[in-house]
Amino acid sequence: MSEGLFRLRIAYPKAGRLRFLSHLELTTACERAARRAGLPYAVTQGFNPKMKVAFGPALPVGTGSTCERFDVWLREYVPAGEALERLRSSSSIDVAPLDACYVALRAPSLAASLTIATYDVVTVGGVSVEDQQGSLDALVKAGELVVEHKGKQKVFDLASTLPKEPKVRTSNGQTVVEITTRMGDRGSLRPESLVMAAFQRSGTSGSVLSVTRTRLAEEEDA
Amino acid sequence: MSDLWPRIEPLLASVERPARYIDREWGALHIDDAEYRAALVYPDAYELGMANQAIGILYQCLAAIPGVAPERAFLPWRDMAEQMRHNDVPLFTLESCSPLSEMDLVGITLPYELTYSNILEILDLACIPLRAADRTASDPLVIGGGPCAYNPEPVAAFFDAILIGDGEHAIGQIVSVHRAVKASGVSRHEILSALAKVEGVYVPSLYSTDSGSAVSLGIAPARVTKRLLDDLGMVRSPVCPVVPFMDVVHDRVTVEILRGCSRGCRFCQAGMVYRPVRERTADTIVRDVLAGLECTGHEEVSLTSLSSADHSQLEEVLRRLSRRLEGTGVTVSLPSLRVDAFSVEIARLLGGGRKTGLTFAPEAGTQRMRDVINKNVTEEDLLGTVRKAFSAGWHRIKLYFMIGLPTETDADIEGIGALVRKVQEAAKESVPPAQRGGIRIGVSVATFVPKAHTPFQWDAQITLDEVRRRQSVLRDSMPKRGIDLSWHDPEVSFLEGVMARGGREIADVIEHAWRAGACYDAWTEEFSLGRWREAFDACGVDPLSIGSRVREFDEKLPWGHIQTGLSSEFLRIERERASEAITTPDCTFDECTGCGVCPTLGVDVILGGESRE
Repeated sequence: MSEGLFRLRIAYPKAGRLRFLSHLELTTACERAARRAGLPYAVTQGFNPKMKVAFGPALPVGTGSTCERFDVWLREYVPAGEALERLRSSSSIDVAPLDACYVALRAPSLAASLTIATYDVVTVGGVSVEDQQGSLDALVKAGELVVEHKGKQKVFDLASTLPKEPKVRTSNGQTVVEITTRMGDRGSLRPESLVMAAFQRSGTSGSVLSVTRTRLAEEEDA
Repeated sequence: MSDLWPRIEPLLASVERPARYIDREWGALHIDDAEYRAALVYPDAYELGMANQAIGILYQCLAAIPGVAPERAFLPWRDMAEQMRHNDVPLFTLESCSPLSEMDLVGITLPYELTYSNILEILDLACIPLRAADRTASDPLVIGGGPCAYNPEPVAAFFDAILIGDGEHAIGQIVSVHRAVKASGVSRHEILSALAKVEGVYVPSLYSTDSGSAVSLGIAPARVTKRLLDDLGMVRSPVCPVVPFMDVVHDRVTVEILRGCSRGCRFCQAGMVYRPVRERTADTIVRDVLAGLECTGHEEVSLTSLSSADHSQLEEVLRRLSRRLEGTGVTVSLPSLRVDAFSVEIARLLGGGRKTGLTFAPEAGTQRMRDVINKNVTEEDLLGTVRKAFSAGWHRIKLYFMIGLPTETDADIEGIGALVRKVQEAAKESVPPAQRGGIRIGVSVATFVPKAHTPFQWDAQITLDEVRRRQSVLRDSMPKRGIDLSWHDPEVSFLEGVMARGGREIADVIEHAWRAGACYDAWTEEFSLGRWREAFDACGVDPLSIGSRVREFDEKLPWGHIQTGLSSEFLRIERERASEAITTPDCTFDECTGCGVCPTLGVDVILGGESRE
């Protein structure tokens, strides 16, 4: 019923306990925060009008993030800084927006353009950084990874799935594996699957403590 | 208080829907320095409990008391319960993430008979002794309340006290009495004796049931009179309730627009025990709806009650809301509509252009049967409504019926099939031929369960074999095509019937069944009647003598000590009128029917507008 004249892009985290939210739970939470903030949001046309919003690529339950984004279309202009403040005071702290800016109405959708994601995978298990790096390198060299998820097998070609080599580092006394993946139409590789496969390959009993998405980028930035 | 989060967090990676356990929802209150903590517990999964309005109302009432922290707890799903037991993590509250056993008060809702085994699962997971008699000074006070409290006996042994009736004011009084006597360091028995003096509070341990009904041992009142909030306007509908992350059953703002219903359907316990009718005014409803939407960010609001279309100002409320909510995408809904109260205008105001399915409950197939149960709607009402709705663009309708009602014959059951056929024909005639393929008619059939404090409280529930026979009569009478027929599980209804009218002997059965694995009985895939049959056998309790036996009018009933305000004479006369298929009007439209509630409880019907039409 109302045209969205302004497209506001919000950057927000998925942190703390709220990393246990599913994608649907997270998107509902963002929409409700926008309503509580009293933003003059546009609604979609049709029999079942809903807030006009669009989200970036989904995160699995349990995976955190420092860099999520969603677009909300507004009927009236609200200064981005003011919209950000209103959203922040209407959001649970673990998903409170970090930034807001207007983007062109015709800009490509977040889901279609953001195809490259970087994750920090924190591991435990007493393997040295060097050994872990070594087993990851060997795995990447093997070229293919078979992942089983909910009884289905998926085969990932690692050369095209990983635009960058995985890198192991130490941070605050924790071992962190940085993994950048390319998200495809036929499913995305979960970074923890790669890490666990490397552990298995090297016969060590490490495990994954947490997974956090740290960067979402477009193909040309890869 | 011990914070269990560090021990809970590692369990969440391997359980379904961890959002059930993480707290942090918008509106959840975290009061660190409270002197008194009260947990509100819903004995089923989070997604059901968060839809419960009483939890939301009482949460707000507790939060208003200085020094008191309200908390919530729900029954963890089976996978989580298993993880918790395996890792020695006790049941925890969401807000402070501390053990439920560390609360001062644990209030457990009694929403439905089939949740009784869940109550034991909750107490066990919380490491609180199952029986009130085994609790000591270090255990929290365990209080029940809610719809099933009107026959508290089956679960009496598990509760220190049970509140009968409206909780808004009573909960504050219970907390204040508890805090005062606790501070003076008295025994648990003395605490309970003090609580027994609070109006509406039933303390089972202060009664003997040796004679078949509960008799006060001296300190407690002979009869416990239900607590009643005279005027709903005295307590504001919760406008900043907790907003769940998870997709819960009724994920929306709810504003209770009226409480009570005196239509007088003779099978309906709620209609009998929540009298008199108390409406909120149009102004307060509109105010609270708008405030609730603003505070929660919900996209839907429901105007709830037992019979929302009866509100004397409903059209005014809907018109004002539809104006205020225009262009926001927010929808207004009503829980169900009476066949005779439906108007296309109301439905249009609700849908905002959307034509979702309509639900009606004619309950019975013949006029005789509907007169027996005092469901004052006619076939013409139903068919007229169907024509109006289908002509106005609705294509989906769901109809609720019951079988096994007192005096029912096969002709009455066949009447359901005949009525459904007429509905189908009326629907077809009301839509253009090209759209007839889109007509959807759902028919849902439940087995009648006689309930305490109703005119049918003396009646027998039909046996399972008889249910199956009548189901086949019904199936044969239904139109062969175009009807989506579903049944409420008769085995579940059978157990519900026994629990609904049983006495204290049922407690042993519940405990036995729970020990054998009964839990989540209201979930079809978890329910096993076999487990319950074994429990009845093991405890020497004959379920048929409770559920499927006709009682004499002068028989002592297990709930005889619970005073709802209804006179037993009224119930008896209503039962006799049922036998003669004589209907009784609704006092909010017509004159007083002498049910006894207003004079006994010193209250009156409250309407928002001038009158009901």
